[in-house]
Amino acid sequence: MAEIAVTQQEIDAVFPKVAETMADALGCDVTDIKPDVSLIEGLDAESIDFLDMVFRLERAFKIKIPRGKIVENARGDLPDAEFEQGGIVTDKGLAQLKSYLSEVPAARFKTPMKVADIPRLFTPTTFCKLVVRAQKEA
Amino acid sequence: MKTASGLAGKSVLVTGGSRGIGRAIVETFAGEGARVAFFYRGNDEAAQEVVQSMHAAGHHVHAERVDVRDSAACVQAVEKLADETGRIDVLINNAGVIRDNPLTALTDDDVATVLDTNVGGVFNTTRAVAPYMVMQRAGAIVNLSSVAGSKGGRGQTNYAASKGAIEAFTRALAVELAPRKIRVNAVAPGVIDTEMSQAVRDLAGDEVKARILMRRVGSAEDVANAVWFLASDYASYVTGEVFHVDGGFKFD
Repeated sequence: MAEIAVTQQEIDAVFPKVAETMADALGCDVTDIKPDVSLIEGLDAESIDFLDMVFRLERAFKIKIPRGKIVENARGDLPDAEFEQGGIVTDKGLAQLKSYLSEVPAARFKTPMKVADIPRLFTPTTFCKLVVRAQKEA
Repeated sequence: MKTASGLAGKSVLVTGGSRGIGRAIVETFAGEGARVAFFYRGNDEAAQEVVQSMHAAGHHVHAERVDVRDSAACVQAVEKLADETGRIDVLINNAGVIRDNPLTALTDDDVATVLDTNVGGVFNTTRAVAPYMVMQRAGAIVNLSSVAGSKGGRGQTNYAASKGAIEAFTRALAVELAPRKIRVNAVAPGVIDTEMSQAVRDLAGDEVKARILMRRVGSAEDVANAVWFLASDYASYVTGEVFHVDGGFKFD
């Protein structure tokens, strides 16, 4: 499946509403929502917060985001076995992940990386891209 | 000291609300000033009768035909309700069926229908409602279990398994949702005077009554009162509990 390209301009266009929605979900100030802050490391988001954020974004933008969509997109066309082995992301998988999550600073990609730790990479920009892609797919 | 249940004006969803215990729950919450929507599977006549009698009494009650086994239908109906009311404060998972028979006489359909409706229905409805409650940082969920969930009953392996699952579901979900100030509890009725339990009462009759400390079968209202309590502000510090409403039902 070809990845839908997202421009910086498109990200900037949705960012204010995404930031506002995330601030509501996380109970923080909207000024805390910087484009590249790690939601888990920087804003203490928990798994239930991610579900809440996705649900709120769906309603705010009138889009549908299937659960697990970010990791599924990040995996792209790579079969499971090539993306991860025993819960650890392979070198090929990591390259794919870095390309998909291009907004995340390179230093945050630790090796070895557990699949379970992928959400630690997510930033508000990750969600902006998700919203833009969902809008384009609709 | 609290002097009100806090349920007036709340948006309440009850599954299986057209008859029996579900109807008593709808009437109890509506009587308290809540805006009640209920799902019913197929009995349009019974559902309309509930709606009309509630409207005549000046209450807000709305019926929606939804088979809780259908996950997409649950999502759609819950979305519609949330769009209308803006929020969902209380969910009562009451819809349930009974297909009693000794284990070896149970058909595949007897097993699937009971588990899909009683357990699958709770999953389908709760999964659709929970995101709204998480977003609100508030909510109360009450699941209807049964005495069969914790005590053995001949011919009830399918029903007992479904109710045991509901009790386990209640405890697990209470843990998940407590950080978002959402309470999850269950009510486990004993022998109640409803259409659904008629066969059991016909079969066992006085023998059953002899095992009930209160020496009478319960009414649907007895159960509705317990559900009301658990959904109300009076139970604001109660979660993950199974509340038995069985008159002291004992298996010796």
